[in-house]
Formats: sequence, structure tokens, C-alpha cells
Amino acid sequence: MAILTSPLFFKIAVFPGLTSLAIIAALVTWLDRKITARVQLRIGPSYVSPVGGILQSFADLIKLAFKELIIPAKADKFFFVAAPVIGMILAGGLVGLIPFSPETQIANLEVGLPVFLAFLTLSPTMVLLAGWSANSKYPFIGGLRSLFQQTAYEIPLWLSAIGVVMMAGTFDLLKIVEAQSTGWFIIPQALGALIFLITITAEMERIPFDLPEAEPEVIMGWQAEYTGFLFLAAQGAGFIKLYVFSALFATIYLGGFLGPAPVPGLVWTLLKTTVIIVLIILLRGSFGRVRIDQLLRAGWTLLLGLAIANIAITYIIIQGIPSI
Amino acid sequence: MTDLAFLAFAFVTVIAAILAIEARDLVYGAVSLGVSFLGVAGLFILLDASYVAAFQISVYIGAVVVLILFTVMLVGPAKGDGPMEFKKASLFGAVLISLMLGMAGTLATTTAFPGREVCGSGCDLQLLSTTLLVDYGIQLELLALVLAAAVIGALTLAKAEKKE
Repeated sequence: MAILTSPLFFKIAVFPGLTSLAIIAALVTWLDRKITARVQLRIGPSYVSPVGGILQSFADLIKLAFKELIIPAKADKFFFVAAPVIGMILAGGLVGLIPFSPETQIANLEVGLPVFLAFLTLSPTMVLLAGWSANSKYPFIGGLRSLFQQTAYEIPLWLSAIGVVMMAGTFDLLKIVEAQSTGWFIIPQALGALIFLITITAEMERIPFDLPEAEPEVIMGWQAEYTGFLFLAAQGAGFIKLYVFSALFATIYLGGFLGPAPVPGLVWTLLKTTVIIVLIILLRGSFGRVRIDQLLRAGWTLLLGLAIANIAITYIIIQGIPSI
Repeated sequence: MTDLAFLAFAFVTVIAAILAIEARDLVYGAVSLGVSFLGVAGLFILLDASYVAAFQISVYIGAVVVLILFTVMLVGPAKGDGPMEFKKASLFGAVLISLMLGMAGTLATTTAFPGREVCGSGCDLQLLSTTLLVDYGIQLELLALVLAAAVIGALTLAKAEKKE
């Protein structure tokens, strides 16, 4: 029984681990639907709740969990089930690396940032496998699009994060936050932060970069054949990513848990995370979807070039202008 | 505890590597290869080289396995094709690879790498980077040239096919 009362168990089971992850993902879903609805002059979810339909996504969650699970006859059953589930586990597991406050971090790794980005590279693989396993046209197109998209955003994502590492002199996410006590990295790293925001939006497959699941083009893409619980896993992973990546952005650019004293650090992190989540949701309401060739060209030329320029700028900020 | 973890990771690596070769379905083979790389990443973590493990995952699984999957799905044989038959050539290949691995192992253990202290437990990343980029900078560049040669070779092959 000692294990049940240990702080680590609490962190994994309650906060920032599993329970809070499920609740926050549901709340983020609600926020996404509500804000998008308001942007489009609709009301959005409003019935299921005391205030503003806040329990709508919990109701959807229960509904989807009890729906019949249909696996297409010619699908590859193993990957059809495994891919979205592993995808969701990968997305959720990343929350363990985020330092919400010095005490509430599940795993404090010396190389937290590269490990976070490394596990990120696995999720398009899961999308590809999910799309392939359904043995159907649109899911396969969606899976391939996910892969193309990854080649476009992956390198600028890593390169833009290098700027933060150069400023902080460490890969440790906790130390990156502590290094920002003299000023948030969003100011010297404004360009890097912008590239990071664009590339994580592409990673999350959200509008304007939701090509792998574009509804009007490939009818939900790789998710087209999913029903019930597996659809929940596929969709939920997206909202978990929205939460976790926003938390990462808040950690490495907005000073994480740093903030004026009376408010605890944890609240600051969650507040900053919420701001980023709302910003990304507003992007969805404001922009149209880009084409795949536009995204690839932008990724390989503009974003890559700017990310390298950002490294040069960061070098000058740290070392001064080199005298040749 | 470490021995147990080592055995577990080694087991996963070897079994997944065998599956990668023997799987009837090439997609399963490619995914097994990915699992095998994950096992290698675990071994790196046990060696206190979690930085290398992160790049093992991102480069080998995030890029290499994905590209293999991509190729298999686009142009590979249909599902259900059997694995290639055992040939005498594969035996020869096994002997050759064992010899090469043995040679590399002997070289690695007997060579005294001059310059820095061996990167031990709780390895200092800054020490590692100065060792790599300053002390062994030219060697690193040469390794990068090998990769560049591979890229040029691939481009040449792709262009040659277009002409036909």
C-alpha cells in the first residue's frame, strides 16, 4: 500500500498524469468546439451542463466508449487496433517530461527536450500504419500525407528548439525554465518561437495544417474507418497533443512556472498553457487549409531557412558579433 | 537490476531483429526493425547515453523505419509473399559480417582514444560535444562525407531511372 501514497504514484495517476490528462483533454475538446463556434458566429455546445455545455465532451466520451467497434473485414487487425492506441500513449506519455512546477514533474531527464522531440517523431509513423492497416483508399492517402507533412516540419522543429538550448545551455526542461528567470526566451527567440508554433501546429494536424485528416478532401483521412473507442483514441490523441505541446511551448518560451510569488508556479504553467491552447484554436478559426505542396515548399525553404537564421541570430545574441 | 534490464533490452533487440528478417509481411518486418531500434535505444540508456538514445529513436525510427515503411507500402510486394529463400550466399554473408563485427569490436577495445577522459556515468554533454566537434572534428566531417556520398549516389540512381 505504500506505493499508493508515494508522490510518484500520485503524479503518474492523478496530476500531471493519467486522470488529469483525460479530464484536461476533454476540457480542451470543449474549448476547441466552443471557441471555433464563437469565431464562426455559432453558439457551440450548450445543452449538457451547468455552464456553456462544458460537459459535452464527457458525454461524447461516454457515448463513443459504448459504441460498437467495427473493424473492416480486409483490414490488418493488429495495426488497425494498435496504431491509434500506441499513438495516444505516445502523446500522453510526453506529459511526464513537462515541469509544471519544480515538484510536479514525473521524469526529470538531463536530455528532456530531445527525448520529447524524439518521441514526437514516432506519431506520424503510427498515423501511417493506421492509414495503411484500414486497407481503404482515403485512410491510406491520409497516412501518406501525414508522412509528407512530417518531412516538411520535422527539421525546422528541431532547429528552432536548438535556439532555446543555446540560450539555456542545457537540454534539461527544468533548467531551461530556471534559465528564464532573467527574462522569457520568447523575446530573444521570437523568430524561433514563431517557427516552433507553426511546426507544432503541423505536428498536431490542426487547421491550417490538417492535411492528413482534411474532411472535405479525404473524408477524415486516416481516421475514416475508425469507430467507437478507436475513433476516440485517434481524436483524443490530437487533443492530448494540443495540451502537451502548448505546455511545452509555455515551458521553453514563456518561462513555465515562473511568475509573481503569491500565485503558485503550477497555476502559472497552466495559465500560460491555456493561452497557447486558445491561440492555436483561434488559428483554426482564422485560416484556411494549405495545400500539401505549399506546406512542403514552405517547410523546406522558408521555415528551414528562418530556423537556421534563428540559430545565427541566437549565436550573435550570446557571443556578440564575431570579428573576422 | 541493471543486468535484468540489459537482458530484457537485448532480448527485445535480437528477437525483433530476427522477426524483421523473417516476417512474411514486409510491413511487419519494418515495424519489427523499429522495435529492434527501440531496444538499442534502451541499451544506450543503460550505458548512460540517453542523448544518443534520443537520437537513435528520432533518426532510426522516426526517419529510417518510416522511409522503409513508405517504400514498402508504395512499391513493395503484395501481402503474403514469402521471405526470400535461404541461399549459400547468406551463409557467406553471415561469416563476413561476424568477421567485420569482430574486427570492429577488437579495434574499439584495443585502441586508446587519446585526448579526453572516457565519458562515464552522468556524462557531461558539453564535454561530449567538445570532444566530438573539436578533438575529433575532422573525423566527424569525414563521417558526414560518407552520408553525402550516399545522398549523391541515391540522386544519381534516381536520375538514371528517369532517363530510361
